[in-house]
Amino acid sequence: MFAKLAFRNMKRSARDYLVYILTMTIITALIYAFGSLIFQNELADLFDLEPLMDIMLILATVFIVIIVAWLINYMVRFMLEKRSSEFGIYLLLGMKKKTVSRLYIRENLLLGCLSFCCGILLGILLQQVLVSVMYSMVRMEYHLHITFHYKTFLMTALCYFGCYLLALTRCRHKFRKMNIHALMEARRRNENIREKHEKGKRILLPLSMIFILLFWSIFGRLDSTVEVMIFLVGLVLTIYLFYTGLSAWTICYIRKKGNAVYRGQNLFLLRQFASKVKTMQFTMGTLTSLFTLALLGASIALMFSEYENTMLDGKFPFDVLAYSSDTNDDFSDEIAVINAETASADYYPYHIYTDYSNQVNTWMLTHLEAWGTMYQKTDGSPDTDKIKEMLLNRGTYYPYDTYMGLSDYNHLRQMLGYGKKEITSGEYLIQIKPRLYHEVTDAPKDLQIADASGKTFLSCAGIIPDYFSQDGHNGADYVIVVPDDALKRMRPCYSELAVDLKGARPLDLQNKLMNLLPEDDDMELDTDNKYNPGLRCGSDSIIVMCSVYLARESLIPETKYMLGSFIIPMFYIGLVFVCVAVTVLSIQQLSDSAKYRFRYDVLAKLGLERNQIRRMILKQLAAYYLCPALFAMVISGKMILFVSKQFVIETGVPVFAGIFFLKSIALFFGIYLVYFVVTYVGFKRNVEEKHR
Amino acid sequence: MAQTANNYIRVCNVEKYYGNESNVTKAVDDVSFHVDKGEFIGVMGASGSGKTTLLNMMATIDRVTAGHIYYENTDITELSENALSEFRRKNLGFVFQDYNLLDTLTIEENIILAQTLQGQKKKDINERCGSILRLLGIEDIRDKFPYQVSGGQKQRCACARALVSHPKLLLADEPTGALDSRAAQTLLETFTRLNRELAATILMVTHDAFSASYCKRILFLKDGKIFHELIRGEKKRNLFLQEILDVLSLTGGEMSDVC
Repeated sequence: MFAKLAFRNMKRSARDYLVYILTMTIITALIYAFGSLIFQNELADLFDLEPLMDIMLILATVFIVIIVAWLINYMVRFMLEKRSSEFGIYLLLGMKKKTVSRLYIRENLLLGCLSFCCGILLGILLQQVLVSVMYSMVRMEYHLHITFHYKTFLMTALCYFGCYLLALTRCRHKFRKMNIHALMEARRRNENIREKHEKGKRILLPLSMIFILLFWSIFGRLDSTVEVMIFLVGLVLTIYLFYTGLSAWTICYIRKKGNAVYRGQNLFLLRQFASKVKTMQFTMGTLTSLFTLALLGASIALMFSEYENTMLDGKFPFDVLAYSSDTNDDFSDEIAVINAETASADYYPYHIYTDYSNQVNTWMLTHLEAWGTMYQKTDGSPDTDKIKEMLLNRGTYYPYDTYMGLSDYNHLRQMLGYGKKEITSGEYLIQIKPRLYHEVTDAPKDLQIADASGKTFLSCAGIIPDYFSQDGHNGADYVIVVPDDALKRMRPCYSELAVDLKGARPLDLQNKLMNLLPEDDDMELDTDNKYNPGLRCGSDSIIVMCSVYLARESLIPETKYMLGSFIIPMFYIGLVFVCVAVTVLSIQQLSDSAKYRFRYDVLAKLGLERNQIRRMILKQLAAYYLCPALFAMVISGKMILFVSKQFVIETGVPVFAGIFFLKSIALFFGIYLVYFVVTYVGFKRNVEEKHR
Repeated sequence: MAQTANNYIRVCNVEKYYGNESNVTKAVDDVSFHVDKGEFIGVMGASGSGKTTLLNMMATIDRVTAGHIYYENTDITELSENALSEFRRKNLGFVFQDYNLLDTLTIEENIILAQTLQGQKKKDINERCGSILRLLGIEDIRDKFPYQVSGGQKQRCACARALVSHPKLLLADEPTGALDSRAAQTLLETFTRLNRELAATILMVTHDAFSASYCKRILFLKDGKIFHELIRGEKKRNLFLQEILDVLSLTGGEMSDVC
């Protein structure tokens, strides 16, 4: 009998909470699909990386489980409250409290199982999609083969039912403490609007706004941990107190009878909004936090994804590049390894020179956006002590400026398929990373590059922004190309070997080359060469490609896989957080539409036309949906714009910095819109049901 | 039918059937009557006699199966759904057993909303709202929410909302149904006062003889048909109540719910 009752109730709940069930199905599918990357990631074995993706995914899963636990707990309590009078009647009829609580738990578990089973089936399909996306990311072929992994399944089940059991145990505890009267009254409890001290609370709205303005103006300048912590605490408080202030302000406005109150249905809409925000202020704050995190996650994922799509190919233009701080190195070991791995190859050993000056380094450190005013004195002149300390000890650039002869330069250009460059004996070129091109256009005015005699200065024949492997190999960020005879007054700084492979390009060439290095010394930080303490990588800082050996065919997939380790978990978090947040919004509104149907009935009796009621529902939903979303956009906007600006500066992705924010909003509103439409249709149906 | 001063609202041969071809229920069966301007008319009947169906049709909430209902020169049975909404907004006021107040609005705001929906000006709204609150004696509770006031006060608020825009007809469906006898009496006295002082036209549906005794005229409905009519005239209320009870005794005491 009870099983039948539980089943029937579950069927009814499934209808009422369809959005919740759909979300739980999607979340199960996501946990299964992304979780599979931890347990059955065949790609991880191909790349010699630390288990970066596993760690990131486990971290993401932990965050997601916490949020899903919150959602389930919220929903279980919400359903209990909605149905408490029904449970009160069961108790009144003589059912034991234990039986009723078991009935409810059984219903919820049935509902949970339904979503879980659908979710696993969807997850198995989604896992295949995800794996094929990953394979195509690393440019490998993948043949779909539907598989079921018991470890992934167990992890998903553990996460999912762990959350459920936790919520249900709390619920059972709540049942135990409730009496019949409390159960019968529970539904009515929240309906009473208590307006106390609203005038005082009103101040919280301008205060939160001031904090947000402050946040926008000084976010980029926070540099100590204490400052950041204080700001984070302030931000969390602002997020939660904003809604108290907003509802208080709206209530005061209505009480004061502002002009807008007297326009059409505004009074009803403002009251609806104020009472909803007032009773839901904590939930609204949590939803804002979830949206903020989701936007951040999606934006970061989009940044890395943009980098991967636009920059990676240019990062490794040469088939193989090898660096040696020994200027007499003949690269025989490297050549032997490459010869053993490939059919044939062209080798080109050359030197990067230096003139023991650091005028170019100084210019770069004092003019590039990446450094800001870090290496300038207060009057704007170079802070030579700081620069010297940085070049010698914390090297971004080589201690002295880097030069290359024109013949070497043209040979390398030829290897890359670029056209030859011609300069006269009185000229020089600046070969620079493409991302820095627009920042160095004024450099030739300040630089004085001497010719072979050391007395006459060369003139700049141009700045070349071609991809040229300038993360420490062909200079760090830049190399000055001079006529060959100008090198006579310089000495070699380090040796390089460029290789053009013919035929097969083995995937593990990078690993084989790296094996040549002594253990734990892949940066080759030797000190034999007093002019060059080791490989220096330039000003890239977010994604740094710094290696003594660069084997293109190994590094591109490996880097893509590494970037995937950030992109995938970030999207995963963003997706789940948005789904959870919109589900709470939708369920709230849908259950309200059923519970407070009479309000719209009254409005119809007061003479509102059906279309007017529909428009009003639309406005009401839009306000309720947009409020946390817009607030989250204001908060995350500053962080995302700041981070993406830095990202664009430091990686050189050729896009406008705001694009990541705009794209993540578009993505976010796509999901939002789906839930909004479903809620609107359901809301309208619920309200109009009675009229029919 | 030509309109006369005494035929303010005319219900002509109205029928309402429910069900399908094989099983038809006649909720209202060929009912005709008229309501004069400024009249306080009652419709009595047992449960299922069709009184609420009749009220709903007059209130434009339900459609007739046959017949016509005229408000002065307007036949509401011919109006479209949107035109009906507008008609309702401009011409009708409602008072129901369960008050039908909006729970998120205060007592005063419930009254204001009814006027803002009609597009009235702020100044007019405040003036009218203030005077109706005073008239109904609910000025002190104007800032309270419905859950904070008694049933009688809620019902008076509903009356105020219904009357604030001077409707052609105030429709009351069992308005005293959820009130205690004291509150019911106060409400009925309020109705009488509104009828007398504001010349409000009121149509009240009730199964309670005591409530009905406040009306000027009563129509008795049975099985969807009008089977009797009582006019109070200059009679005292107690005498009129006795007459009502006499009529009810003819129906077999189905409605002898006397307070």
